[in-house]
Amino acid sequence: MSKKNPKNENRSFELRLYVVQYFALAIFVALGIRFYVLQVGHHQFYEQQAENNRIREIPIIASRGEIYDRNGKVLVSSTPALNVVVYPEDVTNRNETITALVDNLGADRAQITADLNDPRRPKSQPILVKQNASAGDEAWVDAHELEHPEIKIDREPQRVYRFGDLASQVIGYVGQISSKELEDPNYLDEGYKPGDIIGKAGIEKTYDKLLRGKNGMRRVVVDSRGKPIRQLEIIEPIKGQDIITTLDVDLQQVAEAQFDGPHQTGVAIAEDPRNGEILAMVSKPSFDPNVFAANVISSENRAAVNAIVTDPAHPLYNKAIQGIYPTGSTWKLMMATAALEEGVITLKNSRLVCGGGIQVGNRFVHDVGGNHGTPDIHAAIVHSCDGYFYRLGLKMGVDMIHDWVSRFGMGQKTGIDLPSEVRGIIPDREWKKRVNPSDPVWKDFDTVEASIGQGSVAVTPIQLLRAEAGIMMGGDFHVPHIFKEARGTALAKMVDYQDQPKEMQLSKLTVDTVSYAAWGVVNEGGTAGGVGFPRDLNVGGKTGTAQVIAREKAHGAALQDHSWFISFAPLHTDEKPELAVVVLTEHGGFGARSSGPKSRIINAAYFSKKLGHPVLPEVVAKNVEPAKNIEPQPNAPR
Amino acid sequence: MVEFNRKLFRDLDLTLVAAPFLLGVLGCVGIYSTDPGLDRWKKQLMYLVVGLILSLILALTDYRKVLSAVAPFFYLIVILMLVMVLVGFGVKVNGNTSWLRLPGGIKFQPSEFAKLAVILMLSRHIAQTHDEKNPAKDKPLSLRDTVIMGAIVLPPIILVRLENDTGTMLTFGAILATFYFMAGMRKTMLVGGAILVAVGLVAVYPHLKGYQKERIKAVIEPDKVDPKGFGYQTIQSVIAVGSGGTLGKGLSNGTQSRLGFLPYAYSDFIGAAVAEETGLAGVLFLMSLYLLLIWRLIAVARVARDRAGALMIMGLVGLLTFHIACNLGMVVGLMPTIGIPLPLMSLGGTAVISLFMGIGLALSVRLRRFVN
Repeated sequence: MSKKNPKNENRSFELRLYVVQYFALAIFVALGIRFYVLQVGHHQFYEQQAENNRIREIPIIASRGEIYDRNGKVLVSSTPALNVVVYPEDVTNRNETITALVDNLGADRAQITADLNDPRRPKSQPILVKQNASAGDEAWVDAHELEHPEIKIDREPQRVYRFGDLASQVIGYVGQISSKELEDPNYLDEGYKPGDIIGKAGIEKTYDKLLRGKNGMRRVVVDSRGKPIRQLEIIEPIKGQDIITTLDVDLQQVAEAQFDGPHQTGVAIAEDPRNGEILAMVSKPSFDPNVFAANVISSENRAAVNAIVTDPAHPLYNKAIQGIYPTGSTWKLMMATAALEEGVITLKNSRLVCGGGIQVGNRFVHDVGGNHGTPDIHAAIVHSCDGYFYRLGLKMGVDMIHDWVSRFGMGQKTGIDLPSEVRGIIPDREWKKRVNPSDPVWKDFDTVEASIGQGSVAVTPIQLLRAEAGIMMGGDFHVPHIFKEARGTALAKMVDYQDQPKEMQLSKLTVDTVSYAAWGVVNEGGTAGGVGFPRDLNVGGKTGTAQVIAREKAHGAALQDHSWFISFAPLHTDEKPELAVVVLTEHGGFGARSSGPKSRIINAAYFSKKLGHPVLPEVVAKNVEPAKNIEPQPNAPR
Repeated sequence: MVEFNRKLFRDLDLTLVAAPFLLGVLGCVGIYSTDPGLDRWKKQLMYLVVGLILSLILALTDYRKVLSAVAPFFYLIVILMLVMVLVGFGVKVNGNTSWLRLPGGIKFQPSEFAKLAVILMLSRHIAQTHDEKNPAKDKPLSLRDTVIMGAIVLPPIILVRLENDTGTMLTFGAILATFYFMAGMRKTMLVGGAILVAVGLVAVYPHLKGYQKERIKAVIEPDKVDPKGFGYQTIQSVIAVGSGGTLGKGLSNGTQSRLGFLPYAYSDFIGAAVAEETGLAGVLFLMSLYLLLIWRLIAVARVARDRAGALMIMGLVGLLTFHIACNLGMVVGLMPTIGIPLPLMSLGGTAVISLFMGIGLALSVRLRRFVN
């Protein structure tokens, strides 16, 4: 550098060199700032993102608690099943994944497309593609691990309903939580997530929180293809609590068997009136819950599910708590109790004219059973004398009737531990004004109809059973329930049923009078005298024939009235009744004909079992004397 | 051609030798740590040594003689690229066909050499038209020169476009722009050219391929691109960088690069791998070395005895700066993914060797800075 190069004096070239120099510097400074922002400013965010990339939490589904009957027989259990699942976060080409699943594993294209595109579903949550994968499916998944790392085989518990359609509406079924349910705070606040299997109906739904348990998970390190490299942590799942129900499988089977045969639809409920425990609850037609628990993705299974859901006979519907019917003459036990308690009639002075019916305004309402003379309350119940109750009803007035049946729980939910119970309708002045604006005024005719549980009266079988069992118990109205206890687990303590009976002061005289009359219906040649109840069971009861309203009749001429029979045993002894049974046979005609024999076999089965005798339905049927042929006579009582 | 004497050797600029070599070694460490099981890094180290030797040989050679002899090499490379495009025997790597497979399993990228060849050809033109008649460095570029220089660069640009190598195509543009600027293009033309480039970019955008648009979108609106699609590389790279923090996760501990979330962690995204494993500290060290190299080169250009030597070095500076800006810009999510390697660090023998040759020529310019 002895001598300066004269050409370097060129000022503008120098300037351009500086421009380039500082332009380069500016780029480096900008890059440096950006690196600083990412690496220092947002370090934690990106560190988390890198962790999310690397760490995969694979859920281990907790086994659902089992469901037992009162004697420890397993009704519902869970078995491990191999499932084909897809991890959405590993899907690189959605269409290829879908095509692979549809072509090779028989997935439903519409369903899997919808699941993969559901924005609410967390990307880390596997999507169930197929339950009960075959060995072939498993082999296919293994063989295509490289092309389709997103498709995997998971081992998950699957629900097994051991008795098929037995008590299906009571037990319910499980299924994947729907998007609508996810928005429900009941589920949202409890940490339910998309893809969770939940109880959809019955006690599976009511006691889902006890049954579901707590899912575990495996935390693993995966590579960019989602392949686990090593396990960091495992949290074992905790099985859900086992639930012991009040159901008695033997009695349930006997009750279900009573509806074998064509057109046998309806309800049968057996309850212990001393505590409200439901021993059997039948609603026919029924369905097989295994259909819902099985592979919900295959098209065959979707067809089977669809067949149940769209069946016009509504097998999913639990008629015991969701069906509403006029009570017919079973209502008269409540009328008699109310009248005696109010002193409208007294035991000594209870005679009223039957007259074969009553003239109300310009129309004559017949007693379908004929003319019963001037019976007392006992005879009026035994022979189900409508004329007597027409006059009793008019003496009491609609307000008193409405007040009393409401106190017995008519038109209200019983609070049974099953979802979707309905209220029913008990008409009164207000109600008529509201629903019948063209004829808003309550008339004597309406009172006459309401006196025998016809007209607009519409209640659930469980309401009727609770009300009249409560009367027979002398005023102890227990809440009917299916839950007996939940066994404790590592996670939860044992849970017992908390009985909260509604107590009502009924005079002993009233209760004795009414229960003696009910006993007479069966044992003194009353309306159920021909049913053939074994005499030493001291069964008491009441028949009922619920008029099928004309509109329904018009649709099918063959539709007969609904047949009711409610029974309590033993009655008219020193003991409290221990079994209450209500049977409703839809379109079964006169009460004693279709429902009486069903009730007789259920009663016989209960007491046979108590004595240690076999209770198989066919055996019970043979053990008990066949019902005498009771064709509805011209003067058939209700 | 090579003249060796003790005096010249003592005058060698050690910074210009050490900085690029150190960067190359860091590159080898990065390549090793992304997958210690593979011996790619050994190959890279070999190329590095070959490059170093070539650069020393060129340093001792008179660059003016190199410039006068460059034309046949340039034509050879262009013909080679043309044949590759026409015959289609280029090896397809990452969607472009700029690789040539040679016997012995060596893959060779003529377009990498073309970058250096273009710089030398442009310098040669300056040497012929200016230095010989009027050595003043700031004589403005005539329109004729502008057109001729554009014509020199056009064939390689067209050829790499046909090879589907957008990154290299833009690199040629950057080299040409540096030459135009440094050679003293008229201000009006400079402004007009800049406007033309801007308009051109806007006009070209609708004709880009879907994946190219998607990659640009990944920079502008990273939240709106499919994280599994073409935005994937950008997103994963930014995660790798950000998760590195101040001091990094440690060599070979980068989860993004080691577990395969970061694509091409050994080549185009080596900057992200280094940022993940050595953190901001490593990145700043790296950038300091690059900056040192660039400033040192500019210092040499300042003392160059003639215009051709100065412009040749500035062409190299333009090439380096453009590559670093594009590559690290892509790594931090400021630039779309277009396949521009990080100079001296990304895996690739051709690029390393040609860059060292350029640095060797710069050393030669410095050694011959005095007019004799």
